[in-house]
Amino acid sequence: MPFNQALRLTSILLAAVSFIGLTLGSGLPAWLAMLTGGGLIVVLLRQFTTGDLRHLATHVSFSPAGWNLLVIVGFLWFWVDMFWISGELLPAGIHFLMILMVIKLFNLRLRRDYLHLYAISLVAILASGSLTTDLWYFPIFLLYLVAGVWTLILFQITKGAEDTGAPPMGGQPPQPELLGRVTPQLFWLANGLALVCFGMTLAIFFTIPRISAGFYQKGFGENIRTSGFSETVNLGAIGPIKRDPSIVMRVKVPRHTLHAVDRLYVRGVSFDQYDGKSWMNRLGYRRNLSEESPGMFIIRGHEGPAPSRLGDAIQQNILLEPLDTSVLFAAPFVEKISGKFPAVQSDFAGSVYLPFPSSSRIEYSVVSRVHPVLPADLGSELTVYPESFTKHFLQIPYTSERIGELVKAITGSQRSPYEKAQAIHTFLMRNYRYSLDAPLAGVDRPLEEFLFFRKTGYCEHYATAMVIMLRTVGIPARLVTGFLATEWNEYGSYYVVRQQDAHAWVEVHLPHSGWVMMDPTPPSVEPVGDVYPAWRALERILDNVKLQWSRFFVQYSAADQLAVVRELKAGGKSVGHKAFDSVTTLFSPFMKLFGGIPDYVFPSILRPQGSIWGLVIVAFIIMLGLSVRRILARAFPDKKITQEDHRIVDLYKQMIKRLADKGIAKTATTTPLEFVHLARIRWGEANLVVASITELYCRTRFGGIPLTDEELGMAEDGLRQLTILGKS
Amino acid sequence: MNATPTIPDILENIARVIKGKPHVIEMSVVALLARGHLLLEDVPGVGKTTLAHSLARSLDCSFKRIQFTSDLLPSDIVGVSIFNRQKQAFEFMPGPIFANIVLADEINRTTPKTQSSLLEAMSEAQISFDNKTYPLSQPFMVIATQNPAEYHGTFPLPESQLDRFLMRLRIGYPVPEEERKVLERPQSLHPAEELCPLLTAHDVVALQDQVDKVRMEESITDYLLAIVQSTRQSDLLSLGVSTRGALALSRAAKALSFVRGRAYCLPDDVKELAPIVLSHRIMVARAQGSRQRSSEHTEQIIQDLVDSVPVPV
Repeated sequence: MPFNQALRLTSILLAAVSFIGLTLGSGLPAWLAMLTGGGLIVVLLRQFTTGDLRHLATHVSFSPAGWNLLVIVGFLWFWVDMFWISGELLPAGIHFLMILMVIKLFNLRLRRDYLHLYAISLVAILASGSLTTDLWYFPIFLLYLVAGVWTLILFQITKGAEDTGAPPMGGQPPQPELLGRVTPQLFWLANGLALVCFGMTLAIFFTIPRISAGFYQKGFGENIRTSGFSETVNLGAIGPIKRDPSIVMRVKVPRHTLHAVDRLYVRGVSFDQYDGKSWMNRLGYRRNLSEESPGMFIIRGHEGPAPSRLGDAIQQNILLEPLDTSVLFAAPFVEKISGKFPAVQSDFAGSVYLPFPSSSRIEYSVVSRVHPVLPADLGSELTVYPESFTKHFLQIPYTSERIGELVKAITGSQRSPYEKAQAIHTFLMRNYRYSLDAPLAGVDRPLEEFLFFRKTGYCEHYATAMVIMLRTVGIPARLVTGFLATEWNEYGSYYVVRQQDAHAWVEVHLPHSGWVMMDPTPPSVEPVGDVYPAWRALERILDNVKLQWSRFFVQYSAADQLAVVRELKAGGKSVGHKAFDSVTTLFSPFMKLFGGIPDYVFPSILRPQGSIWGLVIVAFIIMLGLSVRRILARAFPDKKITQEDHRIVDLYKQMIKRLADKGIAKTATTTPLEFVHLARIRWGEANLVVASITELYCRTRFGGIPLTDEELGMAEDGLRQLTILGKS
Repeated sequence: MNATPTIPDILENIARVIKGKPHVIEMSVVALLARGHLLLEDVPGVGKTTLAHSLARSLDCSFKRIQFTSDLLPSDIVGVSIFNRQKQAFEFMPGPIFANIVLADEINRTTPKTQSSLLEAMSEAQISFDNKTYPLSQPFMVIATQNPAEYHGTFPLPESQLDRFLMRLRIGYPVPEEERKVLERPQSLHPAEELCPLLTAHDVVALQDQVDKVRMEESITDYLLAIVQSTRQSDLLSLGVSTRGALALSRAAKALSFVRGRAYCLPDDVKELAPIVLSHRIMVARAQGSRQRSSEHTEQIIQDLVDSVPVPV
């Protein structure tokens, strides 16, 4: 069988297999199955039978305008189908796809028609895969794979042969014989190849675990290590992490709280037990938080002051990158947390956890409330705490006299716990220097080393020192780790939190105010700002775009789609707003970047909804314009001057130039055929090429008959041949 | 049923009689398909009449021959009214012009009055006689033969008459080998009588309609008009080509494209046809001397003019 005939056969088979797949998956109503099946049979008959049957089959056809009309009818039917008959996108889309397939089957002429058919059949087989889990899909898929491999091989062979092969003579398409035929070797090669592909697919299918989205987002084992949030914290372990600029999370806070916070503490987990070298969390018991409404969890029974004395609430939206910890970070102190979680747990110290670490990026929103220091605590005495409380928050690994003397010296004049804490805080802030290069991990007693010898360290040393000093004078305190967010992205109004922002600070328990946050770490003297603020800004813009992309596209889950469809069905108007919001948020950074664009460019009449409709209308008009142009071009081919026409005229002129180089000049009064005659006399071997190019040129230029891609390719080949001939 | 005879079949058919003159045969078919009339000009005895006869015989059409002599009267061509005694009325007896193909042999032997009787028939394909109009059957083609102008006893055709011929062809002597074949042919039968008709009158009309649909691209029309314009501006000529001439060239070019199997005209068609379609429509300026009426001369002038007009690319 000649290649091009075989290509046609396999292409039709490919379409047929995907059609059978869809029909078995009961994705097609009877009439459409009959129509498509009938179409396939007719096309096959037309191609591979002779005599009366073929004659009959060739009569099933329309004019180009008829086909166009069919496409339009099919498209309109798609909408009718989606809203009233099937009521859903997938079936309606499949029905439309089948109509398109039938139309393409009858119009297999150019290479791109074949490609369209492959695309359609691919979508069809994928759709049928989504419709069924039955076993019959297996052989169908196998067939599809074989047909697909065959088709692609043949497509490539015929393409290659037509591109480079036989020189185009006399304007005739290359003879099938020149392209070669399907040999038994090729037959087995192609089938073998298909089987190998299938085997590999199976191997991948069974060896790689199927998991939800996000697994491949970061690659294997690339989860960011966060030593600060494991069960133990070694002094000195934060050093290398501090310089890691990878992004851990993004915290979006409402614009109106902006003035209040120029830096945001993002609390992770708190530690109660210090063994002289490292911190541990012994607040082992975690209880499940009660779910107020689906996805909304409330922390109750929090040992804090009465609600009336609470400070400002901070609303945050947090997008957390996958970490190997189950801690949910948030600004202290968490009141409500909502997200798509099955359950949320909390420990005694108010840290919030997921039941297990998330392997994908998660988004959640939190309402936190700051605990201010109440006036009552300014002069309050130390209270006596119960045993269960002191066990955790007054624990000291060993009694150090030097530390005791130091604390007495600092706090001797102060009476209330708050004043004492303030004194220690001030002492540490004033007398110690911040440095990241302070490896204390190998030292026997790192705390004394820090306090009395090195006097330089980083957040964890400061926090540890303060906690131990507070506990020495009987004030309950705990060490808290988390992040200190300072990098504000003004384009998306959120904080970017990086690994290097990891931080440790102190929470002090005051009798009236409850747990109050204190940070004894002095600000870093190392240069933080970058030399290139413009570059930084660009980075922030890019980061914001990434965030929006993730929020509105990557994380756009099936549930979201369902919600949208539901709303569409209900005729909800908010969908437009939502879409507009997502589009504007995505592009607003750019708008801000080119911020000079004043508001009057966007007059107020352009309400969001109006813009959406305007967009739709404009798109519709463009589509209409394109299709009308096409229809007109078909109806009046005389007026049609296509790209190809110009191309062939160009080629013809190039040919004249080549011949002129050879000394065969075409004067202004030489007609095309006279020139061919002249070329035949003067340069015999180029005659065929000149004749064929001239013929194509005349046909297009004067006959108004458009060239096919093949013919154009032939003309180009001819010109190349002429160049070679001219050089030899 | 046999396949419809194609143009090459007809050409071949005629070529069985007229040896060695494929160009002349092709052009006469072009004239037929362009709904034009043909003027054959040459010395006696080179096959003018035989060509006309062969063309007529190849078509299943009525064929009449009129031998033009100096005493021929218009009524000998158009027809006469005879009083019918039974009906007590004049009755029109159609003349030989009422045929599909009319051979006007030696048309310049007769007087201009008789020559002009062909005018209406040739341009409007109808005959007016006694205030009555009689349409001629389609296709209608006049093939006229004439001897070169210098010959004795000839009346040159008036310009208006000449303008109505689509083209003027010269046959010329055949090459010796072809002439030999003519001599070797059995002489008992008139050669044109051997031919069998290939097309009916209906077929010819259909073909003529198809010729009208041949595409002439704008730039070719411009080219054609530029040629016509050049004849009007030439110093060598005292009379240029009329609009009827331009129309004739356009129709002939379409017919030639069609005969050559194309659905569109090329500049080549126009260029090739210009001498034979235009040369009899011009008048050479007096200053050009005695050879002013020679058809070779006028054809050469047209050829020179055409060679000076740029071809569209």
